Amino acid sequence: MNPNLIPALDAAGLPGPPWLFHVLLVFTFFLHLVFMNLTLGGTLLAAIAHFKSGGRRDDFRGVLSGRLMAINNYGISLTITTGIAPLLFIQLVYQPFFYSATILLAPVWLAMLLLLTVGYYAAYLYKFRGAPARGQGGGAWMALSALMFFAIAMIHVAVHLVHAQPEKWAALSDGAWCVLGDPTYWPRLLHFVFAGIGFSALVTAWWAVRCAREGVEVSVNTDIAKWAWRWALWATVLQVVDGFILLMVLPQPVLRGIMSGGLATLGPLTAAILVGIGLLMMLSRATNPVDKPGLVTGTLAAMTLTIAVMSITRHQVRALYLDPFTAGSEFLVIPQWGNFLLFVVLLLAGLATVAWMVHRVLTSPASGADAA
Amino acid sequence: MDYPVWGLAMGGGLLMALVAIPHVIVSHFAVGGGLLIAVSETLAVKRNDPELRELARRSSLVLVLASTVFGAISGVGIWVVAGLISPAAISALIHTYVWGWAMEWVFFIIEIAAALVYYTTWGKISKSAHVMVGWVYFVAAYVSLVIINGIITFMLTPGRWLETNAFWDGFFNPTYWPSLVLRTGIAILMATAFMVFPALRSSEPRRAGILRYLGWWFAAGALVSYAGFRWWEAALPETVLSLFAGGSPTLVVLAATRSFALWSLTGALVVGVVILIVAPKLTRGVTAVVLAALAFAFFGGYERLREGTRKPFLIHSHMFSNGLLLSDIAAVNAEGILARSGWAARGPEAEAAVGQRVFRTQCSSCHTLDGYQGIRGLLPSFDDMYQLAEADPGGSAEALYAAECAACHADITSAEMLEMMPSAAEMAEDPEMIHDLVSGMISGSLVKLQEMGTDYLNAPLGVMIDTTGFSAPYMPPFVGTDAELEALAVYLSALSLTEPSPQQLASSGGVE
Repeated sequence: MNPNLIPALDAAGLPGPPWLFHVLLVFTFFLHLVFMNLTLGGTLLAAIAHFKSGGRRDDFRGVLSGRLMAINNYGISLTITTGIAPLLFIQLVYQPFFYSATILLAPVWLAMLLLLTVGYYAAYLYKFRGAPARGQGGGAWMALSALMFFAIAMIHVAVHLVHAQPEKWAALSDGAWCVLGDPTYWPRLLHFVFAGIGFSALVTAWWAVRCAREGVEVSVNTDIAKWAWRWALWATVLQVVDGFILLMVLPQPVLRGIMSGGLATLGPLTAAILVGIGLLMMLSRATNPVDKPGLVTGTLAAMTLTIAVMSITRHQVRALYLDPFTAGSEFLVIPQWGNFLLFVVLLLAGLATVAWMVHRVLTSPASGADAA
Repeated sequence: MDYPVWGLAMGGGLLMALVAIPHVIVSHFAVGGGLLIAVSETLAVKRNDPELRELARRSSLVLVLASTVFGAISGVGIWVVAGLISPAAISALIHTYVWGWAMEWVFFIIEIAAALVYYTTWGKISKSAHVMVGWVYFVAAYVSLVIINGIITFMLTPGRWLETNAFWDGFFNPTYWPSLVLRTGIAILMATAFMVFPALRSSEPRRAGILRYLGWWFAAGALVSYAGFRWWEAALPETVLSLFAGGSPTLVVLAATRSFALWSLTGALVVGVVILIVAPKLTRGVTAVVLAALAFAFFGGYERLREGTRKPFLIHSHMFSNGLLLSDIAAVNAEGILARSGWAARGPEAEAAVGQRVFRTQCSSCHTLDGYQGIRGLLPSFDDMYQLAEADPGGSAEALYAAECAACHADITSAEMLEMMPSAAEMAEDPEMIHDLVSGMISGSLVKLQEMGTDYLNAPLGVMIDTTGFSAPYMPPFVGTDAELEALAVYLSALSLTEPSPQQLASSGGVE
């Protein structure tokens, strides 16, 4: 390969040390993953539940479907919003690789915008024209939405694999579809899909358990909790199997890099595997999660922790993929510590504002003439 | 210039316009709508005015669907498109202003959270809490504008940043405050133009009052926009202003755009005052569409003007629109484009093929082949020459000289040219001669563009460059080796190659 295919690092340099932007990239990507799991997995799960219920709201799966899509009306927005920050930081620290990959996959990368718009508005159409508004129907909107989000996941996995493998760019420029033949493509894609379904199912189960414990529609919520719990269990089983397959099909240098990276790489990977197996044990300990609310909350917390740890491992795997191409090239660093501090202060103040707003809203219920 | 190039037939500029124009309209609506909705609900609560409350409630659905869905996606879309068509440029902006964008992201989170909460809590929480959420939304949305305005204006007037490279020097640049006032006015204009539609659904007795209320907002938005626009013009360096303003503007197209924008604003103000304030009964769906179209036309005209006046730069006096850094001119001339970019080097060695890759690397950020700013249409061709000569059979040299040669050959008089130039009939008889002539003209133009690089290198450092005296003030210089220039000339000449038509051949037969 002509190493010159890799564009030069930006002459403007980095306004802070690289480690800081790597930390920000991983942290904000984790936040994005939480909402992305709800968007992708939640919509897929909602579509399955919708069709299993025959599109009726008098079936508990129909209620579950409407509930997941109600979350998604917020969740999709938050997925996009939280996706902006990692998109910003990846352009900063992986600039030559990321831009080149998106250009090589330009038509599909651009199509993502259209798919996202269609998927998002389809979710709203389901809300306004489907079962939540009319008591039944709307499956086509939901299926369309799920299809769009699945396609977006495919695009993201493709871009990720292309940007991490500059040695394949020359071949890809003659036909970008060959990225689908990468041995890690499908296991990687399924890793996201199973995580999304499992996480969404757990959130649904957690919500239903909470409602049932408070005496709200106990029968329906118990059914929802059991159904979602089973989906969480089987999605996690498949996720663990798929995770091992993905590990095995990684390029040898990358796998060697993980295994020989000491605590830095083996620590997060081992933690993720152990928490994953722990999740399986927790999920298999109950058939009726309503009886074990503590277990449900603990399982949800463990799965969130797994997502966080896997975000680190994924980042390390990328670094190992790119190691031959980044060794020896270093960014010019011109720190802007004042601006970084201002960002941190604003972030904390912003989160506090959102928390205060939500608190004020939750403590100000009103109805009738007193309500806004 | 070392990235792969996406060969988009429609042109990157047009694609960017397709994504960016709807985005800026929606994003300004999201800011102005936040203000109008928050004020309207506050007044509705104070005056116990259910119609005004309904206006705020109905508008908030549009706000949520437009701002949180389309605004967010199209905002990401601008990054996506910029990364595809101008990766070096967006990279430079992000590396310079990443903390600015990170801060804007914080306010975007607040904005989205507040918008969703605001819309979904109608009729569910106390009035004071709901009004508070509306104001949180507006403040967050406005601060987003305050931040992004710094990055946008930096691109046109980087100010002291060119000398210091300091974040805040570029952020609070010479056009920062005028642009903020202008965009504040535009945000109010956009919001009012949208909110007229939900206002039309108000009950009959109150409709006129609600429309009149929006009319005052619209008039205020138009006047603030006008004040901001004139202030913006006054803050522009003379070298930029002279491109489109004054007695003899350098760029006639931009001068026309300025007139179009200002007349649209005048029209919007007049129509707005008439249909909203003086005679609200005239407000119908159609008139509201006309009002919105006039407001959009002003906004679009201003944005076109702002983008146009930046030519040939993406970041004025720092980076050209094709991603070439001013500071790289000498190095690329010495090394060559093919040595700098593996993508440009990759491919057949034939001169025309090399030229095509040089074209893609240096020119395709602005020029398509046959679409928007199509290069083929801009090149001199046999047809151009023939038509000029045919239109002036007695002295084809005069027309040809004026149209194609005068700029480069001031040393040759039209009389001398007359001796040298063929008639239309002679052209049709010997098209090869014309092709050679065309190739020579193209090479000559490229050499001029290459020499223009020296003008840039000789320009004073640390200040905005006055390009008006340059041979092609709206184009980046050609950079690369002489062999690459020749390859580009061969490629472009091949593009301009056309054969004589039967009619033209028939005319040559007449000569014989």
